[in-house]
Amino acid sequence: MGMTIQRRGTGAGQRSSIGVQGFFRRLGSQWQLVLMSVPMLLYVFLFNYAPLWGWSNAFRDIAFARGTWADFLKGKEVPWIGLQNFDDKIGLFRSGAILFTDTIRNTVAMSVINLVLSTLAAIVLAVLLNEVRQKAFKRTVQTVTYLPHFLSMVIVVGIAQIIFDSSNLSPGPVNSLLLSTGIVRQGPDWLNTPGYFWWLVAVINVWKEVGWGTIIYISAMTGIDPCLYEAASIDGAGRWQRILHVTLPGIRATFVILLIMNIGHLLDTGFEMQYLLKRNATEQVAYTIDLYVMEYGIRQNDYGLATAAGIFKSVIAIILLTGANFISKKLGEDSLM
Amino acid sequence: MRKFLAALLTLCMLASFAIAFADEPITLTVFRGDPGDQPTADNKIYKKIEETFGVKFNISYLAGDLDQTLSLQLAGDVYPDLFDGGNSADLIITGGALINLLDYISPEKTPRLWAHIEPQKARLIEKDGEGNDVLYIIPNYGLPDGPQIALSVGGPAFFIQKQVLEWDDYPTIKTLDEYFDLLERFLDANPTDENGTPYTGFAILCEDWRHFCLINPVQHLMGRPNDGEVYICVTDQNYEVTGNDPAEPFKTETFIDKPYAKAYYKKLNEAFHAGLIDRSTFSMSYDQYIALISNGTVLGMFDQAWDFGTATSALIDSEKFDRTYVALGLVYDPDYVNGAEIEEHYLNGSLPNVRRGFGISTTCANPELIVAMWEEMLSDEWQILLNWGVEGEDYFVDENGRLNMTAEQYANTQNNQWKLANKADAIFQSSPKKQGWIMNDITLPSGTVIKAGNCWEPGNQDEIVFGLMNEYDKSFLAAYGFSKFADFVNPPIELAPYGEAWQIDYTPVTVAHDNFLKVQDRVLPELIQCDPAEFDAKWDAFVLEIKPYADEFAAYMQEAVVTEAHKVLDNAD
Repeated sequence: MGMTIQRRGTGAGQRSSIGVQGFFRRLGSQWQLVLMSVPMLLYVFLFNYAPLWGWSNAFRDIAFARGTWADFLKGKEVPWIGLQNFDDKIGLFRSGAILFTDTIRNTVAMSVINLVLSTLAAIVLAVLLNEVRQKAFKRTVQTVTYLPHFLSMVIVVGIAQIIFDSSNLSPGPVNSLLLSTGIVRQGPDWLNTPGYFWWLVAVINVWKEVGWGTIIYISAMTGIDPCLYEAASIDGAGRWQRILHVTLPGIRATFVILLIMNIGHLLDTGFEMQYLLKRNATEQVAYTIDLYVMEYGIRQNDYGLATAAGIFKSVIAIILLTGANFISKKLGEDSLM
Repeated sequence: MRKFLAALLTLCMLASFAIAFADEPITLTVFRGDPGDQPTADNKIYKKIEETFGVKFNISYLAGDLDQTLSLQLAGDVYPDLFDGGNSADLIITGGALINLLDYISPEKTPRLWAHIEPQKARLIEKDGEGNDVLYIIPNYGLPDGPQIALSVGGPAFFIQKQVLEWDDYPTIKTLDEYFDLLERFLDANPTDENGTPYTGFAILCEDWRHFCLINPVQHLMGRPNDGEVYICVTDQNYEVTGNDPAEPFKTETFIDKPYAKAYYKKLNEAFHAGLIDRSTFSMSYDQYIALISNGTVLGMFDQAWDFGTATSALIDSEKFDRTYVALGLVYDPDYVNGAEIEEHYLNGSLPNVRRGFGISTTCANPELIVAMWEEMLSDEWQILLNWGVEGEDYFVDENGRLNMTAEQYANTQNNQWKLANKADAIFQSSPKKQGWIMNDITLPSGTVIKAGNCWEPGNQDEIVFGLMNEYDKSFLAAYGFSKFADFVNPPIELAPYGEAWQIDYTPVTVAHDNFLKVQDRVLPELIQCDPAEFDAKWDAFVLEIKPYADEFAAYMQEAVVTEAHKVLDNAD
């Protein structure tokens, strides 16, 4: 059975056979397309490449207390300090209440938990919805589950704070439930216990994004040829087997593409929710690289250090992305590059 | 030549003034470094300001984190015209966002402003990197005329609801143990209020910079006024140096890592397990805290009176007078400090609120206009208008030339909604202002004469404080045989030459200081909530963790305190 969706390679093979001359001839013949892509190229250049100039800050001593931003803007010389922003004395790996190494750990851990849980939840929900024959019910569930996606994070975290309120005097719904059923005598302190933080983030994230995540999978499932289901039925496959051998293989390519893309953004997943949800007690597990950049770059105005942290993040992201791409290629699946 | 130049400058100023007034009103952008509410569009005082100075205000209040907001403004390089950096004004000063006011203020050009700052020049005027005299912000508070007035505690103290003292038949509470003992007894007897809402025994606000409620009390329990995060041991009132150490009269140390601090947090740990402290207090936002106090169900807290002023107003609005607070000056019981009897000093000599208030930003197009406006606003007439309101409407002057209000007029001033329509607080609170005693007779344009000996602020005027005091407070004070609420604490001591150490700019040790605070923010709530059996071990671990940051911060503060003190001591003669 093992079905794979075959796609025609439009990549490397053809390009090399044309050669440089051929490339330009073809470019000329498609000038309208080239023209249309100019704004996009400009956009990418302006917003993705031009700011790379700012990376030079990582090698300067550019901080408020030591040489101010205003000085810098006025063209005053801001000293170059080589790699000191990356070292363990004044740089990223110095000791402090929030360690940069902790923020890397937190970012990766939260991203992985998020990625696994939200992908799993989305696929399970998509499969379930796909099996629902009652149109109206299916639509309703879809709408209800993807509505939270449109809520601002502030509201979502506000709701979460009420739900997980662990006050002894007026506990939130979760703790009220736990207390009233007598499972616990003292409700867990959800928001202030470091051990719960990552899971809390993941649960809230799944609640917010699960409906949205199903959309792509459901559309991939609609793309599966109904003949396959019919054939499977005739061969005696039950509903469970049809899911296992038709539906899931049918969305495999989508799954892999999404996985690669998500891995590229693995380190981007943490800012708003962690920022809003963190408490003094949970800072050490809540700080992500992005929060660290904001803390030192914006609140403490150590622009050099913040830039260094940003570069560090980009490097890890590139490694992760190429790694995932490589593995996917080895497994014989589609790759993005 | 100089005179000519001055005359020319004045002329230019007047000319620009005239041009400014002739045109459409100029809209000044204003930033306030604290949260607040927008005034109504038809606010009568702003209308007067617009008529007189041709100036309108576009006010934005702080929403969110202060340091972050200011830093973003700095990074963006476009500033509000009137820039109040709140408690982090050091950031915008270091960031070069404010102009040097000394370029606009002088005895000739702005006699009123100059006379206002002159007595405290040594504290106010600083040196910049190149050694020039600079003044970025004229303090919003703390430059009073005449002798100090201390009718109530406006700053830090341990607060307790009046009903708790009443319930216990008006006891005298002087020590930490007596305080918590009383709270516990009251809570045992009255777990909920009359509506069935449970009482919170002791609330601790831990949010952002307001975490002083959590981290500051120890110095006060040791008998010092507010020096922020350091304890300064002033042994000699003449500040004599006998040896070679210039720091001798001002021995400065961080207190949080010292053995005497442990006693306080151990007490809180006991209070937590006795059910006095609710877990939610550690994750509470400022708004939630104010809402809780406004309910009237918080029995006590350590805070500064201005920090929960809106809650006090709300309690008075709803006539829950017995749920308002008395400030107590608590100290450690002698058992905690090797038997030493500590004398309490919560009230300090009046202190210019250095680097707090409006500065004028470098991107402001009309600095002259603002300075001229401040100069005019410091006139007797405007100060009466801004402090007391409109004669006849908001206050009256009796036949003896005394300022007074009717009960209704006074009730208005306590009503937050009324204030938004009839007070210019957003501007006035952060502007230079007169405080203390009215030293000379004032003749208003209407011909009414206000005699010397009145107070600039209604809140200090005898007629208001005692005449219009509610019956509950009157009988409450009578029960203690006190005449004013400040009688619950010792009278103010003389201000030390270094001022109050919380004002010192610590931006040069930002990293150490930030780590110093972060460790406290995280660990202190843990210590308060932990199993009592583990407390000692956790405390030792805390001291070990915080020590490197505490040491670096303390060393810097020691040096800064001596420098500050010498600014004043060296200028004394």
